[in-house]
Amino acid sequence: MTNKANKTKRGSVLIAGGGIGGMQAALDLADSGFKVHMIQKDSSIGGTMSMLDKTFPTGDCSMCMISPKMVEVGRHPNIVLHTLAEVTAVDGEPGDFSVMVKQQPRYVDAVKCTGCGACEKKCPKLVVSEFEQGLSKRKAIYSLLPQAVPNTRVIDPETCLYIQRGRCKACIKFCDTDAIDFDDTEKNYELKVGAIILSPGLERYNPRVRQELGFGRWPNVVTSIQFERILSASGPFSGEIKRPSDEKHPRKVAWIQCVGSRDPHNANPWCSSVCCMYATKQAVIAKEHDGSIQPTIFYMEMRSFGKDFDKYVDRAKDEYGVVYRRTMISDVKEDAGTGDLILRYADRDGTLIDEVFDMLVLSIGFQPHADAAEFAQTFGIAPNEHGFAQTTDFGPVETSRPGVYVTGTFQGPKDIPETVAQGSAVAGRSMALLGEARGTEITVEELPEEIEVAGKEPRVGVFVCHCGINISQTVDIKQVTEEMKSVPDVAYSDDLMYACAPDGQEKIKQLIKEHDLNRVIVASCTPRTHAPLFQDTIREVGLNKYLFELADIREQCSWCHMGQNEIATKKAAEIVKMNVAKARHLQPIETDAVDVTPAAMVIGGGIAGLTSALALGDQGFDVHLVEKAPQLGGLANNVFRTLDGSDVQAFVQEKAAAVEAHPRINVHRGTEVASTGGFVGSFKTTLADGAQFDHGAIVVATGGVEYEPEEYGYKDSEKIITQRDLEKQLANGLSPGQQHFLMIQCVGSREEPLNYCSRICCQDAIKNAIAIKEKSPAAQVTVLYRDIRTYGLREDYYQKARDLGVLFVRFEPEAKPQVKIVGDRLQVEAFDYVMNRDLRLHPDVVVLSTGLRPHPTTEKIGKQYKLTRNPDGYFLEAHVKLRPVDFPSEGLYVAGLAHAPKNLDETVSQALAAAGRAGVLLSHDKLGVSGIISKHNRDICMSCLACLRVCPFGSPFVDEDGKISHNEVICTGCGICAGICPAKAFQVNNFRDEQIHAMIDAATEDIFEETSSSDQ
Amino acid sequence: MTAQAQAAVKEEAAPAIEPEREIPTGWQPSILAFACHYCAFAAADLAGVMRLSYAPNVKIIRMPCTGKLDHGYVLRAFERGVDGLFVAG
Repeated sequence: MTNKANKTKRGSVLIAGGGIGGMQAALDLADSGFKVHMIQKDSSIGGTMSMLDKTFPTGDCSMCMISPKMVEVGRHPNIVLHTLAEVTAVDGEPGDFSVMVKQQPRYVDAVKCTGCGACEKKCPKLVVSEFEQGLSKRKAIYSLLPQAVPNTRVIDPETCLYIQRGRCKACIKFCDTDAIDFDDTEKNYELKVGAIILSPGLERYNPRVRQELGFGRWPNVVTSIQFERILSASGPFSGEIKRPSDEKHPRKVAWIQCVGSRDPHNANPWCSSVCCMYATKQAVIAKEHDGSIQPTIFYMEMRSFGKDFDKYVDRAKDEYGVVYRRTMISDVKEDAGTGDLILRYADRDGTLIDEVFDMLVLSIGFQPHADAAEFAQTFGIAPNEHGFAQTTDFGPVETSRPGVYVTGTFQGPKDIPETVAQGSAVAGRSMALLGEARGTEITVEELPEEIEVAGKEPRVGVFVCHCGINISQTVDIKQVTEEMKSVPDVAYSDDLMYACAPDGQEKIKQLIKEHDLNRVIVASCTPRTHAPLFQDTIREVGLNKYLFELADIREQCSWCHMGQNEIATKKAAEIVKMNVAKARHLQPIETDAVDVTPAAMVIGGGIAGLTSALALGDQGFDVHLVEKAPQLGGLANNVFRTLDGSDVQAFVQEKAAAVEAHPRINVHRGTEVASTGGFVGSFKTTLADGAQFDHGAIVVATGGVEYEPEEYGYKDSEKIITQRDLEKQLANGLSPGQQHFLMIQCVGSREEPLNYCSRICCQDAIKNAIAIKEKSPAAQVTVLYRDIRTYGLREDYYQKARDLGVLFVRFEPEAKPQVKIVGDRLQVEAFDYVMNRDLRLHPDVVVLSTGLRPHPTTEKIGKQYKLTRNPDGYFLEAHVKLRPVDFPSEGLYVAGLAHAPKNLDETVSQALAAAGRAGVLLSHDKLGVSGIISKHNRDICMSCLACLRVCPFGSPFVDEDGKISHNEVICTGCGICAGICPAKAFQVNNFRDEQIHAMIDAATEDIFEETSSSDQ
Repeated sequence: MTAQAQAAVKEEAAPAIEPEREIPTGWQPSILAFACHYCAFAAADLAGVMRLSYAPNVKIIRMPCTGKLDHGYVLRAFERGVDGLFVAG
């Protein structure tokens, strides 16, 4: 008899879909010892995010963020890419699946192809480009996008002249490496994996269906994704805003929201979650590209519910002059002859207005792929009623089939950070499932031996990046490149379109070898995000990764000196020269590795903390869960049902019991962190109750608290309660009878002093409203709201509440409802914008939808671990888009309400993500120490103890011989010791005095008067 | 104190202080900034991301922390002719 539990599990995972969610999961898994097979239908990975120009709310360039990730996936030794492929059958069980893959022919041999693009240039066949959304043409042999990974071109058999008509073969003729292979055929093969992750992404709504909006009929009506391409530097108009009909620069541009969303009759009933924000972003970016553009956004409800989203919309209104009109467009006509568009809408008082715009953007929503049903069937998972993967609020990444997980928009509409968080979450779930098989199927990366550079003359290579037009529209790249050629020790200087893209990196590697370069400068964006990528690139050709410098000529030059091209070009050249001067003094650095304690501390025992602790425990790590209160559960102890009706109390009890019973989890209740020391990989913590333990990672899940209202007479009457009070009463059997419940939204949210959306209150109100109406249909529920933000699939419940007869009345912050107690009756006055008159209501109960606040301990924890918080008091993640659960400090992760207000399912996703990220770290026996540390030279040290007194980390110490020694492991490389040391016995790697002096000298080259200093 | 030592500490005549000069019209100061990698340098990046426009006559040298600032850097910068130094972190 075979024991299933003991059956060997496979150390590999299949990921179906190569968008940002799949890529995050792939990198997390591959970095922690699992083999990953990534199946991608397109010829390149990248997904929807690679089509976007910029992202909200920071305005970061999407390609600049995703391209390094694509490169990392493409060259990771533990990730195998299967492009042009799809899964046809899945068999087996969790831990051991057999997957059949069908791969279409590419007709280009990836091994032989250099990606030079000669074939594409010579191909005579022009085809409409899908990636550019039909706005420009591509060839029959092409790359999906210029930054494609893999960077091997593909022949489109539908349009290739040779395949269709048997003649041409231009590509074969012009390919120097004989890489074209017309005999390539479809392949079918089997992969054996332990777990499966589904990240197929989304399809966009086709607005042709909504004929009244004129898409497909009037050329100047474009979709939002087309507008992204129009904005993009690498798009059809190179980032210049033009309208398709006559390539005229539009002045008045309109956006129409909810096209294909929130429309159960003609389109999809759900809210697509991201359109309000992307339209705002597009309006802002359009205005940045061309200051004379006047954007107007026509919307139903402004759903800017995420962290710092409302502030972004406020900025769009106040600083960029974006006009927001809350009305629906009933008709779009083209003005004959001009190509302008006439939009008809009703003004606030009901008057019909015809307004003329030069261009119209339709904010189209998300929907599952057309073949989603088939896809679900292939993988044997249950879809929900809308065709998305069926999940629950408590298991947001679990499909109905064990061992098969889901991430991203296939689980429901969501934005990039939530998709990335789910990517890490599914990676964590797979790690928990396959724990013991970790490391069984991977190959260890072999790097060439480092080239000896000591004693050799510096040969500096300079690569100046256009970054599409991000840099080149302001800085004359050719001029900077030329100027560097005469700088001392510069052996080679060249320009690149996107240095970070695979072709750019390949070129850098090739030129290093060709010109025997031993120091490398890339002049592009900030070293804070892109230096590691280029460091790895140069290491691949044998250069020590510290022989690299990144000259920031984008963030710190082209972006802040727009329109001053001449002066920006001069400055850019100076910045590059400063870095060349430094690079001439760069020396290789050998790095150490330290041990990792395979244990984690989770601070906070709410849903986030419990989920993280369990996920880490299941991955096989020891966990210390620290909860301040005597009881686990946190804020969820006061919640009874989720919007989908699931029992929260049962869930909390189940999780708490599982945590208590888990052999690897140590629960510390009623105490808090007293002191903490150590560093990533080996922290040492002492709790207030005296307990001490070592751990390698920390998950901060300190949670939030509910706002206690001062307004609307909450303290004056027992009939004025909060949603939480109502929920409790309903759970305890309250019979609503024929009472009138009046709910007021945004209590303590979206206005000063705490001007942010608490995200949960709309759902809370609708949940309770539905509960009341279902218990007694005769009861009356009125909701006074500003915007109902039932984003994503939550929209179903808004619809349901309206169907049940719940009344929704909108108010504006300038005219908030007035709650009065008249005798023993409640009286509420408000203004109804639909009927255009004052309302006076006499509800039996007033229910206040109160917002969320960060937990008071957030401040203390923030200080203890030096973690920054946003102005509202929530922790700031390392990167709002791509590192949503990492803190900037290594080894620390954030989950739940400590990060920002969010719903329970989102908290669960984030907690699983934090556990996944921590798991990646803890899975390593050793951790490479950063090379940027202070080096101590005992030979010239006088042991004056100046360093000992100033070091905040205690790394210099008095050694046995009575002299100063230095513990490099806890050194952070801040260099305070180096600054104060009178003997200059401390020098920080890569910030050595001679390197900084060289930068100062280079920076002052043009102002320095030789005569004023004779003692040089 | 020996005579030799006294000679060594004997003050040289201080150079005459330059008279104040008119600032020429259109003159731009040359400013050098020492910025911490984690905050001020990140803030300068953020300024770029937010497309905030500022005068181009400032160049930034990245420091691992402003604690790394050495008086030697300050003196060298002024000696080399910068008009203003901005240390932020």
